[in-house]
Amino acid sequence: MKNERSLMTQLFEPPAIGKMAPATKIVVYTVLLSWTAFVLFPIYWIIITSFKSAVDVNRGPFFVPWVDFTPSLHAWKELFVFDWKDTLQAYFNSIIIALSATLLCVGIGSMAAYALARVEYKPKFGSIVIFVLSMVGAFLGVGYLGMDWRLSLAVALAVFFFLVKALSKHFKASVGNGDILFWMISQRILPPIVVVVPIYMMFQSVHLLDTHIAIILTYTVINLPIAVWLMYDFFVSIPKDLEESAQLDGATRLMTFWEIVLPLSRPGLAATTLLVMILSWNEYLFALFLSTSRAQTMPILVAAMNAGERGILWWSMSVVIVVMIIPVILMALLLQSFISKGVLLGAVKG
Amino acid sequence: MNRASGLVIKDLNKSFGDVHVVKDLNLTVEPGEFLVLLGPSGCGKTTALRMIAGLEEIDSGSISLGEKDVTNMLPKYRDVAMVFQSYALYPHKNVAENIGFPLKVRGVEPEARDAAVRDAAQQVQMEDLLHRYPRQLSGGQRQRVALARAIVRSPSVFLMDEPLSNLDAQLRGYMRAELKHMQQEMGVTTIYVTHDQIEAMTLAHRVAIMNDGRLQQVGTPNQVYSDPINLFVAGFMGAPPMNFIEGGLNSGKFISGDIELSLVGDQEPGPVVLGFRPEDTALVAAGTGLFDATIYTVEHTGEQTLVTIQVARKQLAVKMPKDFEASTNSTVGVQFDPSAGYFFDQSDGARIRTCRLQAGT
Repeated sequence: MKNERSLMTQLFEPPAIGKMAPATKIVVYTVLLSWTAFVLFPIYWIIITSFKSAVDVNRGPFFVPWVDFTPSLHAWKELFVFDWKDTLQAYFNSIIIALSATLLCVGIGSMAAYALARVEYKPKFGSIVIFVLSMVGAFLGVGYLGMDWRLSLAVALAVFFFLVKALSKHFKASVGNGDILFWMISQRILPPIVVVVPIYMMFQSVHLLDTHIAIILTYTVINLPIAVWLMYDFFVSIPKDLEESAQLDGATRLMTFWEIVLPLSRPGLAATTLLVMILSWNEYLFALFLSTSRAQTMPILVAAMNAGERGILWWSMSVVIVVMIIPVILMALLLQSFISKGVLLGAVKG
Repeated sequence: MNRASGLVIKDLNKSFGDVHVVKDLNLTVEPGEFLVLLGPSGCGKTTALRMIAGLEEIDSGSISLGEKDVTNMLPKYRDVAMVFQSYALYPHKNVAENIGFPLKVRGVEPEARDAAVRDAAQQVQMEDLLHRYPRQLSGGQRQRVALARAIVRSPSVFLMDEPLSNLDAQLRGYMRAELKHMQQEMGVTTIYVTHDQIEAMTLAHRVAIMNDGRLQQVGTPNQVYSDPINLFVAGFMGAPPMNFIEGGLNSGKFISGDIELSLVGDQEPGPVVLGFRPEDTALVAAGTGLFDATIYTVEHTGEQTLVTIQVARKQLAVKMPKDFEASTNSTVGVQFDPSAGYFFDQSDGARIRTCRLQAGT
């Protein structure tokens, strides 16, 4: 029997759901619905917990409001009436920090990615070494010789340019765009805990601890490799012909970018924005180190709910988590319409 | 108003790394001329075109368009329009926006732009589909949009990079005729790159044949077909290609295995190649032709019969009338007019013009 499909192909290459036999349909829907319930249950649980009293949580588990327990607004009141200043401040901190970091990160990241996708760079390895050495020299100048940092930096840059001009002819080995990309992503391989102390000390020395700027800059930098990597893949997939055609049609580089490249990379930008934003929104470790009170973000507030002398405040924690989830869901809904397939369809070939 | 301008290319060179892709290209294109750059893939013809467009930097040499030297000019100042092999339509813009883009970036007023777009669309018969997106168009329609986008700003030179190669055979023939008609109507200087010699023969005023980065011959389709300058040009033009028999010249004869043909004219003895076209050749009764061969296959294509014959294990093609019949492995004579035989030097492929076949051998 040639038409007989093996069990494996039936399992892994099923027909469209509309074409299934009724019995199969029931099985498929049952499986899908239970999986949906399984995935959504934690969210449901958090939402009902935010309306539970301490007694209901501790006597639990109760699943159905008004049947198992009487919902109460006490946790919501506590956070938004009595402690509204702290809660809202953390909320606004999170929003400002996540939005600014995302904007900076996607902006810088996509420009870097576009450059890497379209311009061929061939920096000499020796020049990079000289650059690093002159920067080390600049730091030593400030640290040990007590030079003004502006002077030290200027001297280091002058030395760098002089040496590169004089020596770069003799350097053979050079790195390419692939190496630059890998170097960037390698920065993300490092576990954040390794750099948290130096970053803390750095912001301490410039008196920026517990400020938005410190956290925004940190988030921008740690998420840049991801933004560059994702956007690079996206820009590379845009046919070069389109940009060359625009150039011949008379467009400047900037016009080409605005009129052709940017509209075509909307799906990539949306996906990258969403990812970077969620990463910044949820970040805990750096926020913990860099903020003490004024710049505290929501994850810190969540964590604070189980550190008090009253034990773990499940109800309050749930409230914070619920309000934390809402912007992310809104953002995902807003951006998902851009993340559609087939934007490049019809660009090239027949 | 005819704003067609000529193009002069002098000593153009281009290398990618160690690969020298365009070598000392010298070429003059007359105003209003349709010039086809023909050659096998990798011969440098597309690179040459991209240098004319300004998309590729030039190692050495110069390009002048009309009166102005454009060698180091940015593409947008060159007043050339290009149709890409891939069409390069902007997928997020509809047909009207695609055609109007060159005008938009040049700051043409919307009303004037609309009129020009409508005009250009009309010329390629796309005026009913102005609001479609490229993904909703067929290959032929996309091709037309690409053409309309090129003609909308009436450039002084058209550049076309294998514009028909993504179309199916029937549509290609149709678009070829359209292109030729349009070019004659508008009289715009056109440089057209292709590897398809039929396109070259049918479209061109003149054909420039390139191989391995070097320009081989420039001439009318008829010239390059009937008077090829070397072995490469002779073998590239024509389908099926010219037949070649390697042999030697010795004491007034061309000798290759059992074949012996008398010559007139002087030529130093040495290894040569004898070439003759399938369409100039006829099969006659064994023993009455220039030499004998055995039938290898007989293919009827409808309008004619393509016969492959074998001489000393070498296969040669002959075009015969459609009613020709012969059984495989039978012996036939091969006949062609002495003037249809070409000699080439085996070492460098250059045409030998000092001797030719003697009539009546």
